[in-house]
Amino acid sequence: MVAAKKTKKTHESINNRLALVMKSGKYTLGYKTVLKSLRSSKGKLIIIANNCPPLRKSEIEYYAMLAKVGVHHYNGNNVDLGTACGKYYRVCCLSIIDPGDSDIIKSVPGDH
Amino acid sequence: MGPSPSGLRPTESPSPYQLRYKFWSSPSRNPSSSSSSSHPCTERRPRERARQEDRAKMVKFLKPNKAVIVLQGRYAGRKAVIVRSFDDGTRDRAYGHCLVAGIKKYPSKVIRKDSAKKTAKKSRVKCFVKLVNYRHLMPTRYTLDVDLKDIVTADCLQSKDKRVTASKETKKRFEERFKTGKNRWFFTKLRF
Repeated sequence: MVAAKKTKKTHESINNRLALVMKSGKYTLGYKTVLKSLRSSKGKLIIIANNCPPLRKSEIEYYAMLAKVGVHHYNGNNVDLGTACGKYYRVCCLSIIDPGDSDIIKSVPGDH
Repeated sequence: MGPSPSGLRPTESPSPYQLRYKFWSSPSRNPSSSSSSSHPCTERRPRERARQEDRAKMVKFLKPNKAVIVLQGRYAGRKAVIVRSFDDGTRDRAYGHCLVAGIKKYPSKVIRKDSAKKTAKKSRVKCFVKLVNYRHLMPTRYTLDVDLKDIVTADCLQSKDKRVTASKETKKRFEERFKTGKNRWFFTKLRF
């Protein structure tokens, strides 16, 4: 499925929503904890960077399919995703457990 | 988060909140007001319904009868079925794990030319029973509805002879399921 070119506006809005989640909500960063949150059915939205290795990406998508949780493919690599989370390290995948004040769960999983 | 309505999951049956919302918003009930937006009931309902929709999204999938693939250990690459899951662990194992019954030796391919004796020999299944960490399993979308709850229990792994009797019983049940021809995916060897 060819994704339409992400406009700058939607990209910024995702970043804003992520920043709000980092400030007010609960999340986990990293592959191991993402799988853990999916197994315990605590994760509500999974975000994967675009340079995630394809086997790992398919594995996370499969788990999310079993858990009926949305997956968002972030338009940026793990460096960008880490920066969007406000961290000084790379983040390949993250799981949002509690969005806090953000509406990221409702607005973002338009694409799967 | 608000209290869950009597432990019912919203996806299974309409919860009391959803029923009440439907009741108040139906046109026959409120003939005077065209839209029920001003009704005191509906002001509270949408937020609670949204919360329930969020709750409805989370699905636990590591449940009994789920087919999984063991990833580590001696039985790596073997297919197994979850008999009992311990999500929060026990005192001995402080992590999420489950009791699985799996196939040690898959049944061979049976062809039409084979005699009855040969098909019987080829349809044999060798089983194992094991406690496996969730991290060492790959869940699949398949399920296997074989009733193993009474034979495979947590205490059947205590001693060797209990383990052997449990394996023998699961072997019998797996073999009869294989002979019916159902769940063919489960009884084929995973090629890797």
